[in-house]
Amino acid sequence: MEIFGICIIGILAAVMALLLRRQSPQTALLLSVGAGTLMILSVIKNILLTTQSISQLLQSSGINADYIVILFKVLGICFLTEFTCDTVTEAGMLSLATNISFAGKVTVLITVLPMFRDIIAAIASMVSTS
Amino acid sequence: MDVDMIFKIAAIGIIVAILNQLLVRSGREEQALLTTIAGLVVALMMIISQISDLFTTVKSTFGL
Repeated sequence: MEIFGICIIGILAAVMALLLRRQSPQTALLLSVGAGTLMILSVIKNILLTTQSISQLLQSSGINADYIVILFKVLGICFLTEFTCDTVTEAGMLSLATNISFAGKVTVLITVLPMFRDIIAAIASMVSTS
Repeated sequence: MDVDMIFKIAAIGIIVAILNQLLVRSGREEQALLTTIAGLVVALMMIISQISDLFTTVKSTFGL
C-alpha cells in the first residue's frame, strides 16, 4: 500500500525538519516542501484515474460537460493555492499567504463566472415565464 | 517514490549547519554566510524540479 510509504516519509521528514530547524530553518522548510511534493506526486497519479470516472458519472447524470470541466479546474486551483499558502505560512510570512489565498479566490471567481451567467439566465427565464 | 531526496536535503542541512558553526567559531562570518547560501541553493535546485513536476502534473490532471 502506498499510504504506508507516505506516512513513513511524513514522520521521517518531520523528525529531520525538527532536527534542522534550530541550525538552519531554510533547509528545514525546503525539506518539508520536498517531502510534501513527493507525497502528493505519488498520490496524484491515482487522482487522474478518479477524475475520469467521476466525470463519466457526472455526465451520465445529465450535467453539462462544460460544468464538469469548470469543477475540476476550480479543484485544481484550490489545491495549488492551498499547497502554496500552507508552505508560505510555514515559512512565517502570513501576509504573503493571505495574498496568495486572495489571488486564488479571485481566480476561482473568474473561472466560475460562466456558470453564474447560466444560473442567472435560468432564473431570469423562470421569472419572465411566471 | 524518491525518498533519497529527503535524506539528501537533510544531509545537506546538517553539513551546512556544522560548517556554519565551525566557521563562525573561527571568526569567518562571511564564509559562514556564503556556505549557508551555497547549501540553500543546492537544496533549492533539487527541490525545484520536483515542484515543477508537481505543478505540471496538477496542470494536466485538472486541465488548468
